[in-house]
Amino acid sequence: MRLTVWLPLAALSVIAVCGAATRPHYGGTLRVETRATPAAFDPTAPMAPLVFEALVRLDETGAPQPCLAISWQHEGASRRWQFNLRPAVKLHDGSPLTAAAVVSALQAALPGLAINANGDAVVIRAEHGISALLLDLAHTAFAGTGPFRLGAFDAGRRATFAANEDYWGGRPFLDGIEVQLGRPLRDQLVDLELGKTDIAEVAPADLRRASEHGRAVWSSAAVNLLALEFAPGRAHDARLREALALAIDRAAMHNVLLQKQGEATAALLPQWLSGYAFAFPAKPDLARAQSLAGSLPAAARALTLTYDPAVRAARALAERAAVNARDAGLAVQVAPQNAQADVRLIEVRVRSLDPARALAGLAEALGLEAPPPAATAAALYASERKLLDGYRVIPLCHLPDLYGAASRVHIFAAPAITRLGDWRFDNIWLGASPSGTAP
Amino acid sequence: MTFRTRLLLVFALTVVTAVVFVGAIVSTTTRRAFERLNAQRVAALAAQFRQEFLRRQREIARQVKDIAEADATRDMVIALSRPDADPSVYVDAAQPLAQAHNLDFLELVSGTGSIVSSAQWPARFLYQEDWVTRRDDWDSQEPFLKREELPADTALALISVHAARVADSKMFVIGGEALDRDFLSSFVLPAGMRALLYRAPQSIIDSSGPVRQTAALTPLLDELRKGRAEVTRTVAWSSDAASAETFHAIPLIGPDNELMGAFLVGSSRAEQVGLERFLRRVEILVAAGGILLALLISFWTTARITRPVEALAAGARAVAGGDWHTQVDVRSGDEIGALAAAFNQMTRELLEQRDRLVQAERVAAWRELARRLAHELKNPLFPLQITVENLQRARASHPEQFDEVFRESTATLLAELGKLRGIVGRFSDFAKMPPPQLETVDLNGLVRDSLKLFEAQMQAAGVALRLDLAPGLRAIQADPGQLSRALQNLALNAIDAMPSGGTLSIHTAAEDSGVRLEVADTGQGLTQEECDRLFTPYYTTKTHGTGLGLAIVQSVVSDHGGKIAVRSAPGKGTTFAIDLS
Repeated sequence: MRLTVWLPLAALSVIAVCGAATRPHYGGTLRVETRATPAAFDPTAPMAPLVFEALVRLDETGAPQPCLAISWQHEGASRRWQFNLRPAVKLHDGSPLTAAAVVSALQAALPGLAINANGDAVVIRAEHGISALLLDLAHTAFAGTGPFRLGAFDAGRRATFAANEDYWGGRPFLDGIEVQLGRPLRDQLVDLELGKTDIAEVAPADLRRASEHGRAVWSSAAVNLLALEFAPGRAHDARLREALALAIDRAAMHNVLLQKQGEATAALLPQWLSGYAFAFPAKPDLARAQSLAGSLPAAARALTLTYDPAVRAARALAERAAVNARDAGLAVQVAPQNAQADVRLIEVRVRSLDPARALAGLAEALGLEAPPPAATAAALYASERKLLDGYRVIPLCHLPDLYGAASRVHIFAAPAITRLGDWRFDNIWLGASPSGTAP
Repeated sequence: MTFRTRLLLVFALTVVTAVVFVGAIVSTTTRRAFERLNAQRVAALAAQFRQEFLRRQREIARQVKDIAEADATRDMVIALSRPDADPSVYVDAAQPLAQAHNLDFLELVSGTGSIVSSAQWPARFLYQEDWVTRRDDWDSQEPFLKREELPADTALALISVHAARVADSKMFVIGGEALDRDFLSSFVLPAGMRALLYRAPQSIIDSSGPVRQTAALTPLLDELRKGRAEVTRTVAWSSDAASAETFHAIPLIGPDNELMGAFLVGSSRAEQVGLERFLRRVEILVAAGGILLALLISFWTTARITRPVEALAAGARAVAGGDWHTQVDVRSGDEIGALAAAFNQMTRELLEQRDRLVQAERVAAWRELARRLAHELKNPLFPLQITVENLQRARASHPEQFDEVFRESTATLLAELGKLRGIVGRFSDFAKMPPPQLETVDLNGLVRDSLKLFEAQMQAAGVALRLDLAPGLRAIQADPGQLSRALQNLALNAIDAMPSGGTLSIHTAAEDSGVRLEVADTGQGLTQEECDRLFTPYYTTKTHGTGLGLAIVQSVVSDHGGKIAVRSAPGKGTTFAIDLS
């Protein structure tokens, strides 16, 4: 009899406790560390979506979703677009978001378009069809209406954010966010292990350590292109560039140094974005590389390769490239931060889910000629192939943003890191701190 | 060369020789001592190297074995033996292991020779180390030397290999230490020594890094490559001898008997050269001081030795010059002093002898004068006595003839008295010889005038006069009276020397410093003894005469500052030569 009474009660208690552990709750300050050292708060930085919002946002598939605009229509072969603003949206200073304010901000961000207010709607016109307008708008965060307000920004050192109580999507779970800027990766990992931070960037080689003791690892899509770039303006022999490109063993780099994170590639755009990256041969051709290097005078076979120590796995990748080049008969001397180096290992970020825009962005970042507009994948492939002709840029791999999250960090719904690596920390809530660690 | 100079040279030579000899002995002894000390230090350092090398071999073997036998390594072997093995998980495994075991090099190599992890060159993962799979007895092998390639260069490493085995699976643990700056820094080097490490084929380092100037070591290294045995050579780094170093090279041989490198113990010769230079400077200073001292000593010594000698020489010269009163003031008691005393004794005795001789000569002269006077006076006195006695006898015996006898006797008395007066006058003239009244005189004219008085006498004596007078003979300063008298005396002597007739030759000639007048006869000549005494007063070879004629001639010639000499031999006549200035 007694047993029949207490057993259900005990079961209910267990269920109640478990429910309390997984149920989101408000409060707490999220501590984040990053290598980035922005001189000013950049609306295009991964942390910008905490503060700034656009009319639309892209979901995980890249499809536009309502944000500050709750709906939109286009007509006239996409020459006229009308966006209906979300009502009762307030800026962080408490003022309402009006169509006039949106028009004013967009006119500065999207020159060449006719933008007007139409009541609570915003009308955008163009002489030609602007089918990619939604992508443009998704990448144009202009309004300080986000879930967090910028509290303080100490360039290169620290940034703090406070929960936006009037957020149109509802108050975020977190009371605030403290971001420590310019923190080296190794220190971030130590801080994560010691419980001194909740979220830290992680190098591929540290993934196992980062995921120990109940910690989680978050990653974006492989949006960071790691590539070798010959110093512009220097007359390096094409055979030398090709020999180096053919000597690189990308698979070993990807499998070992990057711990299979991201993808080895010989293309600029990642496979997940373009769909054709596999068509760029990534396997080494040592025999041809040796033949090309052998045709060079001895003095022309020497190169200096530099890297930025802040780039993840940069040293290991550079040294591996030097070892591969040595097999081809090239003498590559590796040194960090050498402004006079012949070749440098760079990291360039894919900033658009639209392949053409992403390729254009990469070309611009790499100092390559801007690719022509490509309406089809074949045209885009041809453009990318053309960009890579001459081996001025030798893609090595695409690497995702990797974050380690402390065990007390929980995600309520959508991922905290988007495919492009943006921070969506309004979905995060904090649980109890593990015993012995700082809150 | 003076005695003083010789003495100085002897002293200087003695000092310099002594200094050089002592310096050579000291330098040789020092050099040998340095070489002995250097050899001991090199041997000690070489022994230290061998001991350290052996210690490191053991330590490396132990560390590598520990790694291979560690549980974590065994777990790794097990994990890698699985079909789905992911060696990338262990790519960074070697570095912390190497740090934990104090190894410079550590590679974890799979049983197939693929590098799983490399501490010294992480980027070489998955590369093949085929050499490690070629033998299976690594566990019993001693650590060996290996040339280890690194990203930037090549290192010389002391390597040990141990296989970590689990069942049929294995993994090679290749660990070692670099023979590099740190290795060299572990040696305790005495001052002036250094340790270098030659790493074939070209690199040479010391404890502070690469050694840049190594060209001078090339011959040593070449010899090392050929012989592969320990070599000791002195290497000159520059023209300065102090820069030279003596190197002892210990070859480092690899497992394939390949010269992998060498341990070079360098011992600077700077200290030795510095000391040798110091000794040389001291030698020079001592030699210079010795020479200076020799100079002073020689001056002092020669002053003590040569001063009496010089005084003696000066005294001898004074005596030779006629100063017989010279006495040498030397008071030393040595041989020189005895010599000086003997010299003084000699001069004193000479003076005494001269005084006695003068006295004797004076007595002899007086005797001669007395004899001559007696002789000269006796002749007129005897006729006077006879005449007076004749007068007495005539008065007594023949008074009638007394007047006549008286006239004749008085005439004779007067004549003899005249002779007496003449004799007295000659003596008086000789005694009263006046100083010459000089005037310009034509010698040839004086000769002609003086000889005119003797023409009748010569004619009576059958003597022919032959004049050989130099024409244009320059005038001289002379007293014509005295010179004429001297010439007349010579002419009279010549006529007297030719009682049976002959030729009287008068010859004048110009000389460099004056004129010469020669008066020669063809008489019977003189002996050498007669010639020696010819100018002695009152000496004569004739039966008559006072013996003053030639004495007067010599006096006149002497008063005119001239010289007179005689040449004669028995039967060949006599020639008097007078030189006047």
